[in-house]
Amino acid sequence: MRRRLRAARDIYEGVYIAPYRSAIHREHLRQRDLFLIMGFSDLLGVPNPVAFYTLELYPELIEQFHEWHMRMGMPNAPDGGFKCC
Amino acid sequence: MKEAGDLESNLDRFVLFVGGKGGVGKTTIASSLALRFADSGFRTLLVSTDPAHSTSDVLEFQLGAEAAQVSENFWALEIDPEHEAELYISGVKERIAESTAPRLLAEVERQVDIARVSPGAEEAALFERFTRIIESAGASYDRVVFDTAPTGQTLRLLSLPELMATWIGGLIGQRKRVNTLGRMWRNVAGAAAGDSGADNDPVLKALEERRERFLRARVTLTDAAKTSFAFVLTPERLPIWETEKAVASLIKYGIPVGGVFVNRVLPPEARGEFLERRRDREREYLARAERSFDRLAICHVPLMESDVVGVKALRSLYLRIFERR
Repeated sequence: MRRRLRAARDIYEGVYIAPYRSAIHREHLRQRDLFLIMGFSDLLGVPNPVAFYTLELYPELIEQFHEWHMRMGMPNAPDGGFKCC
Repeated sequence: MKEAGDLESNLDRFVLFVGGKGGVGKTTIASSLALRFADSGFRTLLVSTDPAHSTSDVLEFQLGAEAAQVSENFWALEIDPEHEAELYISGVKERIAESTAPRLLAEVERQVDIARVSPGAEEAALFERFTRIIESAGASYDRVVFDTAPTGQTLRLLSLPELMATWIGGLIGQRKRVNTLGRMWRNVAGAAAGDSGADNDPVLKALEERRERFLRARVTLTDAAKTSFAFVLTPERLPIWETEKAVASLIKYGIPVGGVFVNRVLPPEARGEFLERRRDREREYLARAERSFDRLAICHVPLMESDVVGVKALRSLYLRIFERR
């Protein structure tokens, strides 16, 4: 009986809760990706004063770009982006 | 047309920006206004950004990167935008050298070097220097006169503090993170709330110092009691048009303009048929300027018979501008 309740709870969580949780996680990641896109404005030659005044964060930006392209299923750094790997 | 007296009181502020395109006499007028402050007893600093270094010629005094005393109460310095950009970039490299993972270092330096030559880099480095000058000037000077004025483009930098907070927050994030060299990022909200987080990290510390300095600069630059903007133009089509745009963009940012100087106006003693014809054209441009800047204090500055060079000539110039009614 207990086992079945636990299974029911797991199914409930799997069907209703977990996807919601990962949607939040995806949204969080998507928001971070937006910042990477903003960073691309530099690569496109559009002056971005915010980026200029936060150049000290390039190490962070490049790390996140690396994680992003891995997450997008690109094993190597895409052309035109940072040469992170 | 408002009298020069209005202009005079409008420009009497701690910070004065004198803007205008090349060749209209901005350097000369800025120097003359600075000299007038100095002669009135205010400890005055003139900041020149002229790439042609003509301020040294006008003052008959070789200017350098550090403030030097030109005459009583009057100091001046010259900023080279290229040099400022170099200084800024090497500062960045120094700060990140220690804590960047070795495998990333080459790419990071490459990107920083690209930023050095990106459009707007020199303007941004210059603006950063302006904020430092304004910040430290209070202790030693009563008046700071710049022979340039931030354009609307530069003034979008006024929204930097918020943009920086968003950008930094986005990159560092809410999580605490330990990178390969063991540097711990603190939670940005915590750092802003007064954590000692920033103290442990020279990068975060530098970014916060910059953001806070821009915030303070914004307060000063948008305070009509502390800062004034003046424009110099000549009674010609292009200078009038460019000044109209410059004034409009300042007004768009809610920054009041102290007034405009219309320079090199033919004086009565310039006579002859040829000059009468020029004067007819000039009258049309002067009328156009009156219409475009009807809400602003306008002052006509006469064309002088010889170049305004040297402290005595600069003094004569401001006497002509302000003492004649």
